[in-house]
Amino acid sequence: MTKKRAKPSKLNTELILGAAILGAIILFSLITPIFIDKDDSLLGKFPPNVKPNSVNLLGTDLQGRDIFTTLVYAAPQTLQVGVVTGLISLSFGTLMGVLAGFFPGRIDDIVRFISDGLVAIPAIAFLMVFVARMQNPSIYVIALSIACLTWPGSARAIRSQVLTLRERQYISIARSNGQKELEVLFREVMPNVFPLLLAQFIGAVNGGIGTAMALEVLGLVPTRRFLSLGLMIFWVQRMGGVLRGMWYWWGPPILLIALIFAGLLFLSSGMNVFVNPRLAGYGAAAKRRTAARIKEFLAARRAAAKGMEPPDEDAILEVRNLNVVYETVEGPVKAVNDVSFSIKPGERMGLIGESGSGKTTAATAMMRLSRPPAFITHGQVLLEGRDLMSIPDEELRRLRLKEIAMVPQASMNALNPVMRIGDQIKDALIVHEGRMSRAAMEKRIAEAFGMVDLPADVGKQYPHQLSGGMKQRATMAIAVALRPKVILADEPTSALDVVVQKRVMMTLMRLQRDLGAAVMLIGHDIGLMTQFVDNLGVLYAGRLVEWAPVEDILNDALHPYSRMLIESLPTLTRKKALIGIPGMPPQLLNLPPGCPFAPRCPFVMDRCREEMPEVQSPQPGRQVACHLYPSHTALPPLPIRDLIPEVLAEGLVPQVLPDAVAGD
Amino acid sequence: MQRYLVRRILQFFLIVFIANSLTFIVPRLVPGDPITEFLNNQQLLNPNPEFETWVADYKAKFGTDRPLWEQYLNFWAGAVRGDFGYSIISFPQTVMHRIGVALPWTIGLVSVGTLLAFLFGTSMGALLGWPDSPQMFQWFVPVLMVIGGIPFWLFSFVVIWIFAVELGILPPAGGINMLDVLIQGDTLQARVVSIAQHAALPIFVFVLFGVGGWGLTMRANLIMTLGEDYILFAHAKGLPESRIFLRYGVRNALLPVLTALAMAIGGIIGGSTLLETAFSYPGVGSVVGAAIQQRDYFVISGAAFFMILSSALALLLVDLMYPLIDPRVRYQ
Ligand SMILES: Nc1ncnc2c1ncn2[C@@H]1O[C@H](COP(=O)(O)OP(=O)(O)OP(=O)(O)O)[C@@H](O)[C@H]1O
Ligand code: SF4
Ligand SMILES: [Mg+2]
Repeated sequence: MTKKRAKPSKLNTELILGAAILGAIILFSLITPIFIDKDDSLLGKFPPNVKPNSVNLLGTDLQGRDIFTTLVYAAPQTLQVGVVTGLISLSFGTLMGVLAGFFPGRIDDIVRFISDGLVAIPAIAFLMVFVARMQNPSIYVIALSIACLTWPGSARAIRSQVLTLRERQYISIARSNGQKELEVLFREVMPNVFPLLLAQFIGAVNGGIGTAMALEVLGLVPTRRFLSLGLMIFWVQRMGGVLRGMWYWWGPPILLIALIFAGLLFLSSGMNVFVNPRLAGYGAAAKRRTAARIKEFLAARRAAAKGMEPPDEDAILEVRNLNVVYETVEGPVKAVNDVSFSIKPGERMGLIGESGSGKTTAATAMMRLSRPPAFITHGQVLLEGRDLMSIPDEELRRLRLKEIAMVPQASMNALNPVMRIGDQIKDALIVHEGRMSRAAMEKRIAEAFGMVDLPADVGKQYPHQLSGGMKQRATMAIAVALRPKVILADEPTSALDVVVQKRVMMTLMRLQRDLGAAVMLIGHDIGLMTQFVDNLGVLYAGRLVEWAPVEDILNDALHPYSRMLIESLPTLTRKKALIGIPGMPPQLLNLPPGCPFAPRCPFVMDRCREEMPEVQSPQPGRQVACHLYPSHTALPPLPIRDLIPEVLAEGLVPQVLPDAVAGD
Repeated sequence: MQRYLVRRILQFFLIVFIANSLTFIVPRLVPGDPITEFLNNQQLLNPNPEFETWVADYKAKFGTDRPLWEQYLNFWAGAVRGDFGYSIISFPQTVMHRIGVALPWTIGLVSVGTLLAFLFGTSMGALLGWPDSPQMFQWFVPVLMVIGGIPFWLFSFVVIWIFAVELGILPPAGGINMLDVLIQGDTLQARVVSIAQHAALPIFVFVLFGVGGWGLTMRANLIMTLGEDYILFAHAKGLPESRIFLRYGVRNALLPVLTALAMAIGGIIGGSTLLETAFSYPGVGSVVGAAIQQRDYFVISGAAFFMILSSALALLLVDLMYPLIDPRVRYQ
């Protein structure tokens, strides 16, 4: 969907640190040779085993070679082996990965087969045997052998990246513009694979250095013609340098190796953050900031709760000025803004709104379950007078499920996949009601399942053994097991087919009656919703634009948006063109001032674009947020005819629903 | 279930077969031959007038005078009987003997080391992934990253130098000091103490520098798991933080790490070569290290056979065990 290409984030500290370490090592090994005489120092003409002094900065080894000089010449060789290995492995991996991603089928299968197979073969075992057989293998042959074993890893990472990129819109556009596959490949795909390539390259260099060094230390590499950090370690080991206490011999190469690896590591982890900025949120500093914000908002809500107005005696749940914001890399997304409403005991309230209007965010916040990047900035949610937003954690925990329960939107994924369903009810029962006898427990669990028409032996099963509808019921069984006073049901029937949908809804409504609980039912299907609820709240761009008894909304909605929703609804008596609402809901990031519905509203006035409409009550028991009030008492008729050409221009062709569906 | 078992075991044999065939054939495509090379070197030190017959004699003993396909068949015929031929250097000794003597040392050292590193590492990773862990812990993450990124055997030198050379409190090399044990009357206790003293430093290296990888893996898994919907629902159920963390978070995040543990144990024989060499520990790693330096080809390839076998076994074990720990995966 994103039209603009992923914008690279700012350089991060890890990247800089990594580059600085490696850069320093490279610079060191480029500059120092100018000042020292290689032949002189490496020929072993110094006395052996001399401690560091002014002539031999790091002393000499047992063969009388200057350790500092050896180091200066060994470090670049080690890096070189890594880079060569990395390049070979990466070029082959890239070639195969891009081919496999772009032309799925045979090549894809082959790459996968080889890489799966290589997992099973220990690389070091093969290399050992292979290199041992060679007489005086050149370091490049070794690099090549290592790369042969490592390319499939890169190939697979690149393949999946290419596959994702291929799906992207701008590539389809390029293709529909008549560009050839290969042209698309080089023009559109490769530039976007590049950051991943770099990350893979660093990984391959790392692997190359590590493996080559292991072979060197083991003595598989000819020791005479070549100089490297690994070989320095080899000689130390061979000559017992550690036991002789020659720390100046083995210490420096190990330090240098450690630095090289640390540098590569910082580079690759910085690279990953660079490629995928979302990862930045997991660092220590980010975590500290998040924790501080949560604390700060909680303190603010507590302070505000002190001076709050007394709770409404009639309501079981009262939401006052609830505000939730998602802190994203691009900026704050205000997903829930000053939402207020109340629910009476035993009442059924519906909350509707388009996808992305903030329904789930609001419901989650109402139980103070919001997790970063979502923050509840302010607001109160009074459950029988207690403010859930400011009470201590422990008190809140005891209220959850027992007094206020939630059937989450993704209720398919709400069950722990590796725990039996029965155990998932049991732990909730134990936590809230204490230990009980086995028989009593069984009875309670069976009862909970009975409430949602599930057989008791479902308790012995794991979630994956149930159908989608059964999982949704099982989640509902957990939610109602303690007979809560308030149930927040977030699209409890989404992702189910129509028949099952209806059955699940019926179950929920029967439960609500039996338990006498208040329910907040969330959905975006206004037709389904109106059949089940007493009061309806309409959410638009995170604002509750209208809240009223359902008949009132059906008969004379006050807000233009709700009216248009109703008008688009086919009914028994009105079989008519179903028109969508032209335009798109606004982006919540950087929302312009004024009424968020203004761009789509047929009644829009100048004032609407500048000033946010306040929530007001033109009639008792109703709320609306629109500048038409209080100067109007009802909404004027929709200029529907004027709308139609615009609708057609938008490409939204009116549909006529057949009678049967419309009447359902 | 039974069909799964049969298929999985067949797959195990197939992996062992292909991997060993590759390690047998590919190196032999390179010109040169380890026996001639060895005898050439001997010839320089200690000339033998009948060099030609000497070489022919040796080749016959090692079976390398046969055509490649016959050698290949003989390799498998021997392998199923546990016979990998002779060591070139210490000739009448068999490869199997050299490896067999060393194997228990390696298994003991590396399994203890790996398990300890796993235990420490995953606990640490779990703590780091816990949202409520003290802020100060977060600074461990880069430390673990660096430690986990540097090949851990490199630290052997530092550890030997500090504890064995400078402080002199632990032995720097070997697996047991028989002289000490005999002086103390060769009791079981004396043996155990001596073995533990010798294993202490290598295991220390394993644990101190092996935790990085485990810790980071566990942390990453846990962060992923804690973002799941069922964790949110567990909070909505009013479960205490500690229960959610252990029963829903750590338990679920641990499943993939267990696979990695099994794989690591499968890599025991290959993974400790450098560590054992650094400590001159009497395990397979040192045998391999010595064989490489002496170019004792058949010992190397015999050891490779065991490395392949043990990692294939680990893969098999993972596949058989996984359905037991993760109900979502079934034998199919
Ligand atoms: N993790 C997040 N980071 C940033 N923005 C988010 C995140 N999650 C949700 N949002 C934003 O918050 C807004 C509200 O999302 P929410 O899930 O509450 O919508 P919803 O009304 O429940 O939609 P649906 O009907 O699709 O479930 C969306 O516009 C979305 O862009
Ligand atoms: S405030 Fe203005 S733009 Fe918004 S809904 Fe009312 S009339 Fe339309
Ligand atoms: Mg939602």
